[in-house]
Amino acid sequence: MPTPVHSPAHLYDLLKSIVRLSDASLPIAVKLDQMVQSISRGFQSDRCLFLEPNKIIPDGFLYRLALEKTPLFVQEGSSFGKMDAFPEEENLLRPPFACVPIYNETSFRGILYLGLPKQHTFSPQQMDLFTLLAEVIEKTIRNDDLQQTDQRHEKRVKKLSTLWELNKALLTTVNFERILHLTLTAVTIGEGLKFNRAMLFLVDEKDRILKGTMAVGPDNAEEAGRVWASLSRRNGALSDLITQLDPESHSNLNSVVNRIQIPLEQEQCILSRTVLEARSFNTQLSQSKEGWLQTRCERGCHLGSEVGCYVGEHLSRDPAVYSFATVPLMGKGKVIGVVLVDNLYNRNPITEEDIHFLSMFANQAGLAIENATLYRNLEEVHRELKETQTFLVHLEKMVALGEMSTTLAHEIKNPLTSIGGFARRLDRVFPEESQEKKYSQTIIKEVSRLEKILKDLLSYTWDESLIFKELDLRDVLEESLSMGTEGIRSGAVQLVKEYAEEIPLVKGDSLQLKQSFFNLINNSCQAMKEGGTLFLRIFPFSKNGSPCVRVETEDTGKGIDPENLHNIFNPFYSTKESSLGLGLPIVHRVIASHRGQIEVDNHPGVGVKFIVTLPGFAPLTPGAER
Amino acid sequence: MKKILVVDDEESIRFLYKEELEEEGYVVECAKDGEEAIEKVPIFKPDLISLDIKMPGMDGIEALKRIREKERQLPIILCSAYGEYKQDLTTWASDAYVVKCADLTAFKSTIRRLLGLS
Repeated sequence: MPTPVHSPAHLYDLLKSIVRLSDASLPIAVKLDQMVQSISRGFQSDRCLFLEPNKIIPDGFLYRLALEKTPLFVQEGSSFGKMDAFPEEENLLRPPFACVPIYNETSFRGILYLGLPKQHTFSPQQMDLFTLLAEVIEKTIRNDDLQQTDQRHEKRVKKLSTLWELNKALLTTVNFERILHLTLTAVTIGEGLKFNRAMLFLVDEKDRILKGTMAVGPDNAEEAGRVWASLSRRNGALSDLITQLDPESHSNLNSVVNRIQIPLEQEQCILSRTVLEARSFNTQLSQSKEGWLQTRCERGCHLGSEVGCYVGEHLSRDPAVYSFATVPLMGKGKVIGVVLVDNLYNRNPITEEDIHFLSMFANQAGLAIENATLYRNLEEVHRELKETQTFLVHLEKMVALGEMSTTLAHEIKNPLTSIGGFARRLDRVFPEESQEKKYSQTIIKEVSRLEKILKDLLSYTWDESLIFKELDLRDVLEESLSMGTEGIRSGAVQLVKEYAEEIPLVKGDSLQLKQSFFNLINNSCQAMKEGGTLFLRIFPFSKNGSPCVRVETEDTGKGIDPENLHNIFNPFYSTKESSLGLGLPIVHRVIASHRGQIEVDNHPGVGVKFIVTLPGFAPLTPGAER
Repeated sequence: MKKILVVDDEESIRFLYKEELEEEGYVVECAKDGEEAIEKVPIFKPDLISLDIKMPGMDGIEALKRIREKERQLPIILCSAYGEYKQDLTTWASDAYVVKCADLTAFKSTIRRLLGLS
């Protein structure tokens, strides 16, 4: 005899528990599962199910029931039109059973099914309750849907907010590296995105390769944990946070990425493809093939290319689950690079929406980079212009100085000649030991000094009309010596000559070289007023396989003050009272116009050695006895 | 007695040279520019000319050429405030090139050499 199942109190309890469950903060799947179990227990049935849409066979009995949107209660013994049922559905369609289709608005969400054991009957109260429970379930599902939507919106808002924060931060700089760093940091710590790692590769048009440029991300899981923990404790707007971050930090990942170079023609490599096809890729490498793009090369590389293997080894740890995505970086109307992001540590999947937002960030970065590049070019050009301008002004001055010098020298020379000439005439007339004689001597001496200065000036600013002949530098050096210097003549300076037996000939202007060597010898003697030794050496020398001649003048004077060392070849710089300081600059110019080099070996307190190297052109010639 | 024509636009230089050369025993005439020099040559008939290069109006080089056309044998010294290195092809027509200097020893010995004295 079929007995009514449950008292009203029992049913009330069931309703109460279902209602409580619907409010619980559990994932929807768990909630539904528990609800179904409660209903099962409450009706003492073993067949209570929530059939999801994908479990319902199209065009079957249950399918059509769902379309009708009305509950169905089939008592034991009654018949119903089950001709169109599929064999798989037979099991469910044994009375007594009940089916209630569940909809959220117009969206079909499933069928709540309850089968009672044989010889049981649905009482009117039970049918009411069951229908009510289905409604509760419907509302639960709707709530959950709303929550999901809400969460999605919130996520979107966070992403937009991060985008805005990045924008603000990007406005603070035109520095290229900073822009890259800000962008990569924004997508790794910014609300709504929070990719574990972000890497940036830039296209090198000239070499047709992708170069790893920058990467942001922890090196391992522990560091990842630490970083996120510390970030979550920080307050403040993202834009402040990321502008404070130091782009100079050399993380391990950054170093690894910086070493990566991938030829653009590597068509299997996802990074190259992102550039060549100008689109994004979302890749999850796992055993499952559910709709994700799979790439593999023969070696099983994660990024799908021979070169990419190197990238893959470094970028992934667990080949089983490594999801990453790439978006192209656009600038100047074309693809200038690739941003690669992954969720290596928390293994969160990357959604299409994530990609969508990532593209927006990449675009921002692209704009900012374009800006920065333009700005940098502008700065560069501006600097070059300024340099050129300065150089031109300097050149003009030099030319003017040269012109002025010759005119000035000429203008000064004539009066000087008169002054000195007449002083000499007087000098010849004044008696020895007379005061007037001293005066005329002084005038003569000072005029000579001025003449010497003018002579140096004119010889520095002359037009170069060199007469090149084949010379033996030993002869030239001897001629310089014969021009006579005070120290050598008086004997205070001891002369040591070390001339090699055979040296190559040199093509040069003997007058200018004679003058140059004289200047060096004279300088040395002047530095050894209290006496010393002057070494003169000439020997053959090989420079990059070519034959040269080296001339060295070495003294034992007080040396050059290290502070002035870099100025010694500058014209008009002089530490000597009686000179314009043109001696060494003239030497420098002469040697340069002979395509030679001059070097200084300075030892303060010990002496100075000048080393002149001139190119030889003929095989060694035997020298006469010296 | 040998005659020397001194050509220079600077009065002091003319003065100095005249004093120095007359002391040596020469007869000295002066001209202050190229034109005056050319006029004086046929009248004074110098045995040697000292010619400054940079002068207003006709410069020394031009004067040198003009005088050379008439007087092939006449020794002419180009005397200049420019340095040695200003020698170029245009100075080849002179017999000597002397840089002006307060010490006139070299100048005077060049004159003696060109006149075949000592």
